[in-house]
Amino acid sequence: MASVNTTSSPHSKPALATTYEGDDVVLLERILPLIDTIEIAPDAIATSDGRGSRLRPEVLDEYEAALPKVNLIAHGVGLSIGSFDHWDEGYLRLLDELFTRFNLEWHSEHLACTIVAGENVGTMFPMPRTTEALDLICERVRRLQERYRVPFLLEHVIHLLPDAPAEFTPAGFLNAITSRTGCGLILDAYNLECDAYNQGLDIPGFLNELDFRAVRELHLAGGVQHKGFHLDIHSGPARDTTLALGMEIIRRAPNLKVVTYEFLKEAVGLLGHDTICRELRRIRQAIGQ
Amino acid sequence: MNGLELHQRGLLSLIKGREAPPDDPYLRRVAGSPELAMVREIALWWRAFQLDVQCHFTARLLKRMGTFEGLVAAYFDGHATSPFVEELSLGFLRWLWVHDDPLIRMVSQFEYALLQARSGSPESFEILWDRNPDLVFLALENGGELPAADPASLYHLHVARDLPRLVACTRELVRR
Repeated sequence: MASVNTTSSPHSKPALATTYEGDDVVLLERILPLIDTIEIAPDAIATSDGRGSRLRPEVLDEYEAALPKVNLIAHGVGLSIGSFDHWDEGYLRLLDELFTRFNLEWHSEHLACTIVAGENVGTMFPMPRTTEALDLICERVRRLQERYRVPFLLEHVIHLLPDAPAEFTPAGFLNAITSRTGCGLILDAYNLECDAYNQGLDIPGFLNELDFRAVRELHLAGGVQHKGFHLDIHSGPARDTTLALGMEIIRRAPNLKVVTYEFLKEAVGLLGHDTICRELRRIRQAIGQ
Repeated sequence: MNGLELHQRGLLSLIKGREAPPDDPYLRRVAGSPELAMVREIALWWRAFQLDVQCHFTARLLKRMGTFEGLVAAYFDGHATSPFVEELSLGFLRWLWVHDDPLIRMVSQFEYALLQARSGSPESFEILWDRNPDLVFLALENGGELPAADPASLYHLHVARDLPRLVACTRELVRR
């Protein structure tokens, strides 16, 4: 089992990563000197012709060209690890293709369901925190660990819908998954802020209960406020509060390896290259690099 | 049906605006909640964004007619939409082929053919127009008035990957 090493060790400074989904060589050349790792979303660099999806070779070539300067990790969107019936085999074929081409340090996925009875839901449904869901997730994590033999990480998603009846607390559910499977966690500081604003999540209580030894990666991002909700649309710089929460997570997580600034490809025009680079420098400085 | 299946099938029905939720206290609480409305709004916004980018002419036409958002929602609710923009677009355009409005039918058929040709499909297409398609595209680009049907002409618009710039049009004079 490719589990995350949860042995506490003296803090070393985490590497800095960012998302990059191809087709913007000018941006890539500007961010490469600022980062250590690129986070690849296999679904986002895939195309489909109706007979099946495949990774776009021209984007893979961009990563290949960047390889001497950076490491690569994968972060999926569409596996749908929490679907009651089955996950998306098409996503795994994309991941297979990516692993064939590159040595990835680890891969990760959202703790969510994006497909129900074969139908894409157009969003991510968080998992209800029940024993039934826990058993299903843990069995699938085990299968992923056997298949890829590199660490696998799960990321909590925001809860916009009212919280479903639960047998576990938010942190307790994550602890149960990591203790049973040995998988790692991505903590997303902005997602936690969204949950606090939208659903009243007690962030200090969450942090105090969470087993931080499993936290391998931290996500930072900025979003928008719309109709009274905080939304996790990665379209802006991280707020000061988000960065401060991220620093708190870094202080607590002895095995944290990577801090990733996330932005959507669709938001690059809005953000601009200068802002993205400024944000990477700001985070780099904050994490002590 | 186990608890997780009931939960996920219920949420799918709610976000797709389909049948009333089953007799489940949680799903009843979600139905009609502002949180559900927001999740649905985000899902529809993404579909509309993707279709706007990918189906350039059709989206412009539907927006001018004030039907874009409604049709995107109707398509989302009634179909298993693909997460891949290529499949989403082709499915949406195919769905519009039977629309009541002939201009929507013609533009969506053309755009479907164009997307197929651009992606390298060996298929060739002929779309019959009751008005000059060039004038339609010009009007969609510059916001000018859309041309009315031309009863004296039938336009044969051919789309194929082997054609120069993928498109060719011939005009046939029609005797009435």
